[in-house]
Amino acid sequence: MSGGRRKEEPPQPHLANGAPKSSAWSKALRSDAAWEDKDEFLDVIYWFRQIIAVVLGVIWGVVPLKGFVGIAVFCLINAGILYLYFSSFQQIDEEDYGGTWELTKEGFMTSFALFMVVWIIFYTAIHYD
Amino acid sequence: MSTMFADTLLIVFISVCTALLAEGITWVLVYRTDKYKRLKAEVEKQSKKLEKKKETITESAGRQQKKKIERQEEKLKNNNRDLSMVRMKSMFAIGFCFTALMGMFNSIFDGRVVAKLPFTPLSYIQGLSHRNLLGEDYTDCSFIFLYILCTMSIRQNIQKMLGLAPSRAATKQAGGFLGPPNPAGKFS
Repeated sequence: MSGGRRKEEPPQPHLANGAPKSSAWSKALRSDAAWEDKDEFLDVIYWFRQIIAVVLGVIWGVVPLKGFVGIAVFCLINAGILYLYFSSFQQIDEEDYGGTWELTKEGFMTSFALFMVVWIIFYTAIHYD
Repeated sequence: MSTMFADTLLIVFISVCTALLAEGITWVLVYRTDKYKRLKAEVEKQSKKLEKKKETITESAGRQQKKKIERQEEKLKNNNRDLSMVRMKSMFAIGFCFTALMGMFNSIFDGRVVAKLPFTPLSYIQGLSHRNLLGEDYTDCSFIFLYILCTMSIRQNIQKMLGLAPSRAATKQAGGFLGPPNPAGKFS
């Protein structure tokens, strides 16, 4: 997570509140990228959350990790990983996005529902099929 | 593959289909109309403009500036209301459709355990997760609980993938009226 020099990029066309374009994903994987379009960065946060939800749902279902401990650990990991991503890796100014809480909230409920669905599916398939 | 797991996958598939159906109905009745496109563009433009103005306004801003912002907010509220009215047509159609579909699915899956929950739900959730199921094993999952979870996750993601979700600025500014359009309605 190096603090490289912020690179200026020409603004890329972006579908507001939708799927980020490929240029957004290449920026997302680069440390300390410049985000002129705030919606674009929020979309990246949103989709990262969904990916984490699917991955953790699969792991939790396979292991299996059961009970509310599973839910609590998911919430911590989901919030924690994204917090490290936007504060340390991307080094964005949270105030530009309405604060840490707004960034933490972005896509959280949908990712929680997705995690539950994937967790239930894999748990049912592997341990009760 | 056991019957229970087949049911689990079937419910996920039903949820995907109903989400696509809901968006399809909304597209036919709402999204493709000129009125909706015009209103949506107007609301997004106004929301972004208003947000930028609010960010730059200071404590010492003149009364005239504040009045200007209030007028813009009022205009935006009216446009949001009109937008909500346009969407209402599809909401009725979807509501009607889905009431019929839910009635059908509820009778098909009545009494059937469609999945096993890896946790025991809280007592006030059990009314939903263990609905119409026999026995005291509350890790048995009923159709409606799984369907609701699927819809909450799948429909929102489908809307975002298709670019049909309203912009964040518009959702924020619309918060005071009918509330932001809820793409993840439980029973649609």
